[in-house]
Amino acid sequence: MSVSEVASLLNQDNSSATIGHHGKVPVEHLDYGYIEKCTHTKYLEKILRELRSGEEGMYPHLIQFCEDHLRTLDPTSRALRKEQPIATAGSLPTEEWTEISQDLQQWQEEAKDYEMSRRPSAMFHNAGNENIPPIRSSGASVPLGQNAASKAKKDPPKRALPRDYSQWDTFDVDRECERIDGNVSKKDTPAVINSGHVNIKPGVDVTTLTEKDKLLLADREKDKGNEAFRASDYEEAVVYYSRSLSIVPAVAVYNNRAQTQIKLKHWHRALQDCQRVLEQEPLNLKALLRRATVFQHQDRLSLAAEDLRAVLHVEPHNATASDVEGDDDVATEDEEKAEEHARPVDRRQLAGGEESVVTPVERGDMGNAQKKPHGGHHGDGASADTNHGSTGHFRRGRGGSWDKHKAAGETPGKAANGTGKRGSTASEHGGGGGGSKGGGGSAGVDLDAPCGALPPPLARLKNEGNLLFKNGQFSDALGKYSQAITGCTDSGLDSPEDLCILYSNRAACYLKDGNSQECIQDCTRALELHPFSLKPLLRRAIAYDSMERYRNAYADYKTVLQVDDSVQAAHNSVNRITRLLIEQDGPQWREKLPDIPLVPLSAQQHRREEPPTAEALQARADRTASDTARRAEVRFNALKLEGNDMVKKGRFQDALGKYTECLQLKPGECTVYTNRALCYLKMERFAEAKQDCDAALRLEPTNKKAFYRRALANKGLKDYLASSADLQEVLQQDPGVQEAEKELEEVTALLRQSLDAGAGASPPTAKPRKKVPITEVRSATDSTPRPPSQEVDNTASINLQPADAYEFGQSLNAARSQGNAAACAQLLSSVDPEQLPQLLGNQLDGQALGFVVEALDDHLLARDPGRVYRLLRHLRTADRFTVAVMLLETAERRRVTQLFAHLSAVQSADFTKDDVLNLANKYII
Amino acid sequence: MSTPFEKPQIISHIQKSLNYTIFDSKWIPCSAKFVCLGNLARGTGVMQIYEVARGELRLVKEIENAKPLKCGTFGATSLQQRHIATGDFGGNLNIWDLEAGEAPLYSVKAHKEIINSLDGVGGLGVGDGAPEIATGSRDGTVKVWDPRQKDAPVANMEPGEGEAKRDCWTVAFGHAFNAQDRCVCAGYDNGDIKLFDLRNMSVRWETNIKNGVCCVEFDRKDINMNKLVATSLEGTFHVFDMRTQHPTKGFTSVSEKGQKSTIWQVRHLPQNRDVFMTTGGAGNLHLWKYDYPAQRSKEDSEGVSMGVAGTVNLLQNVTLSTQPIASLDWSPDKKGLCVCSAFDQSVRVLIVTKLNRV
Repeated sequence: MSVSEVASLLNQDNSSATIGHHGKVPVEHLDYGYIEKCTHTKYLEKILRELRSGEEGMYPHLIQFCEDHLRTLDPTSRALRKEQPIATAGSLPTEEWTEISQDLQQWQEEAKDYEMSRRPSAMFHNAGNENIPPIRSSGASVPLGQNAASKAKKDPPKRALPRDYSQWDTFDVDRECERIDGNVSKKDTPAVINSGHVNIKPGVDVTTLTEKDKLLLADREKDKGNEAFRASDYEEAVVYYSRSLSIVPAVAVYNNRAQTQIKLKHWHRALQDCQRVLEQEPLNLKALLRRATVFQHQDRLSLAAEDLRAVLHVEPHNATASDVEGDDDVATEDEEKAEEHARPVDRRQLAGGEESVVTPVERGDMGNAQKKPHGGHHGDGASADTNHGSTGHFRRGRGGSWDKHKAAGETPGKAANGTGKRGSTASEHGGGGGGSKGGGGSAGVDLDAPCGALPPPLARLKNEGNLLFKNGQFSDALGKYSQAITGCTDSGLDSPEDLCILYSNRAACYLKDGNSQECIQDCTRALELHPFSLKPLLRRAIAYDSMERYRNAYADYKTVLQVDDSVQAAHNSVNRITRLLIEQDGPQWREKLPDIPLVPLSAQQHRREEPPTAEALQARADRTASDTARRAEVRFNALKLEGNDMVKKGRFQDALGKYTECLQLKPGECTVYTNRALCYLKMERFAEAKQDCDAALRLEPTNKKAFYRRALANKGLKDYLASSADLQEVLQQDPGVQEAEKELEEVTALLRQSLDAGAGASPPTAKPRKKVPITEVRSATDSTPRPPSQEVDNTASINLQPADAYEFGQSLNAARSQGNAAACAQLLSSVDPEQLPQLLGNQLDGQALGFVVEALDDHLLARDPGRVYRLLRHLRTADRFTVAVMLLETAERRRVTQLFAHLSAVQSADFTKDDVLNLANKYII
Repeated sequence: MSTPFEKPQIISHIQKSLNYTIFDSKWIPCSAKFVCLGNLARGTGVMQIYEVARGELRLVKEIENAKPLKCGTFGATSLQQRHIATGDFGGNLNIWDLEAGEAPLYSVKAHKEIINSLDGVGGLGVGDGAPEIATGSRDGTVKVWDPRQKDAPVANMEPGEGEAKRDCWTVAFGHAFNAQDRCVCAGYDNGDIKLFDLRNMSVRWETNIKNGVCCVEFDRKDINMNKLVATSLEGTFHVFDMRTQHPTKGFTSVSEKGQKSTIWQVRHLPQNRDVFMTTGGAGNLHLWKYDYPAQRSKEDSEGVSMGVAGTVNLLQNVTLSTQPIASLDWSPDKKGLCVCSAFDQSVRVLIVTKLNRV
């Protein structure tokens, strides 16, 4: 063992990193020291299990120690869950059990009393059920598998195998694409969020209930409210508290609702609820604390302090109150001094207080200004006017402590907002002093604040304008802005952005004064300076809107939405105007619209993947052109689909018609050609099939399907060479097409055969292909003579209607190899004797001749001696006849002699004995 | 254990042995009485009413039924009437007036086979809608009945033609927060959980928890559905957050392995929907509390809202018996009081303390 190994073994004890979690716990780990150091909860659990199992001996104290250590690390560990016997009355402290049992006893008594009192009235209540909703329309049945079916539709089974050719025949690219697109779009269905508190009835009808039942219901609604509150569903909680209050107005519920309203920042309503509680219970601590919170948020600190002091008076050690009070400490002192002054201000804020806290932070830039109710600002300004002396004094006097308190007790944003607001009123009257108090909201207050590239005097003019505007003095603001604009143009300042803002602001003033015409002019100027600027666009839209020039307004709103589609006002207005325009102009209202400019991407604040308006514009421009094309497309697709369907059903003739129509609509479609070629193939119209394939290949020179089908057509046309070339092409493109391989083998075999057939084989013609039966002969080696009936049966496999020399030769060979003379006779009786030499070609040899003779002698002679004579006469003229006769074997020669003997014995009108003798001379040498 | 008495304690108050197999026990609302339903040795059903008085149980009334009684509910009756609805082994749904005679007020052959579970809503001031009873049976169907309509169910959830019929083990009402909305959740022996929307008469959601679903219960029936607990055969239970339904993933859930044996039942505390008790096949009780996550919904990668499950914390666990505890019922009136019945042929009244502090 090397030194390092020993070292690592020693180290193992202390390093939990090297612990193997799967092996047994080493005995050394079952140790106080190790357990105390171990921080790995999973491993500790393992140690605990090991200890509890008792395999290493029982150490109750160590187990306890391990459990305690584990509990400190992970109090929820499952290893700590132990089976515990149920507690009984004895396992509780006596006084606790007494309390519980007394409580229970009391409840039992109450329940009994209640039942006794309720019983007589039970009969009476049976009738009072008319407010129950009616019975559900009955018999509705819900199949369990409803969802399962739709799920199957959503997830099509994944294909493991590549499509084979028969699938390609019915493959429709468009449909596949649609399916894939469809899958994607389905995912866009939104989640269902159950926020149904809006549908909950706000009140409960309890007219028929007894007092006790009402309490019960009220309690239950309160529980629901409490639960919703705990789950942070504050709005729902308010609904349930209100329901509870509608049954029984209880102090606790009002109190809870106040707390919920505080969470929702509905200060005014929270205050109302607190007041109601305090009317009934003037010293309700919770209500006092909550009212203090509300006052604090409403910046009525003196009242808040009063409430907190009341709480501390009742309960000197109330932690919450002293905490808040602590924050207020510094403020309180000042508060007391300033109380006299503060009161009137606070009173006034009582009315508008809620509003002022809720309104968002105001800035020098006036974007927000026009979205807000202006009456409120007017009021603020006016009230400040009348009371400016005390306000200014009060605020300035305790500015320092104020900020401190705010920072401690509230969110910084709120503090800044509040101070800024006050600062603005103060600064108006008290000069530039407000700026020093500046939080985030005071940018517009500092009149000398720099404004873009504007020189200080102009910036000051602008800021003054902003301030005046904010105070509702629109015409004064107008003047300031106009001065600033003239100053700007006179100084030859090259800052289009600033000028744009100035114009835009002046436009806002015009808008407020109702001077829409001027407003539009200013906005247009601003937009010339800075195209697609949001505010001038919006203002011009509003101005157009107010002048009832809806089309222009619509265009502007649309442009606004392109720039920033989150402007809700624009959305609303677009909807409204769309309705108006449809009423005014009818369905073609869009055509009368002015052009909506396309906003460049750089100007879009909320860039979406595809701006819908841009899309709409594009669509409108292309609509007329694409309409007909689309209609054709639709018809084309429909026809094609119909065609495909018919192919599937095997109605090739109908499918052919559909495809032909398709091609009239759209001659450049490769797939239709290949599909039509398939129809032709199925109908064995090979030449046409080949033409279609050629056309398809002209459009798409590497179309596999076209090659494959042309190969089939060529095969049908007996052009095996071309067929095999096509198939090879297919296989070259895709070596895995087994159909093509098989077909190629077959064609090659045919090709060889036709080459073997040699010159006698007729060249390929357009005639429909006939099956070439190549049957293996099993009975050839059969030595036992077979009954004639079976021989006749065998003729079935021999083609008795040969069309050409090749087939005749095939048939003859087949018959000969079977030794089937009857078939041969039949074959001979079916052919024209004059044709016989041509049919035989150069195939005639001694054996064949002997076989033919045999057939004629045994089978045909008895039936049709005239024919036998004619056959023999023509057979003599066949190629190689003399050679064949010379090669005849003795038995065959005898046969020939026999045939002529029989023939001469026959009396026939077709020939004389002399004729037969003459002929016999030719055969018998 | 450092602070044993800070946690809620489960105290056995009264225990009583019975001479029949008890399947279900239910408190009679606004009283200190409860009903026990079971199976007598001679093969008939029995219903007994007991009153809790001075630490003892007093038998008030006994009614015998032709078939063993499996389950009961007061959910669809008014506070004045307090009629119990029961389901028996023969598939009959009966409604009884406990103060009147021994014959049921309402009786219908609801199912071909045993009614495994039933639940009521619309009564006792729970929810605003019509009183309705849902029954789930071995015959694979879930039916909803209105006590005012005899003979025919008002809704029938059955497997379609050719679909396998699964044994429905449990049904529960929920989402009944106004007169129109209402859902029935059913659990099956193959682990399927299906949520039927009775307003739209459709399957709103379904999932499979891989093991037979022994019990499902909404945390509260008459609110906008909030949570659903489903317990399973092998000892795991799942708490689904029912507020946010993702279009494909459905409701999010947290699962907890409560015990090694089957969890027979889950019952939420009527006074606090976030506390619930599970009853185990090894005779144990687990008291749990659900804690909500900071945000109850989030957006997935495609911007679709999906729920976020909270956590489940064990408050207390005790072992009562060696036999499975088949039923548990919290008193609707007295917080912390509950009655439970086990297959050791005994009924127990338990007190759970300190539920106010959880």
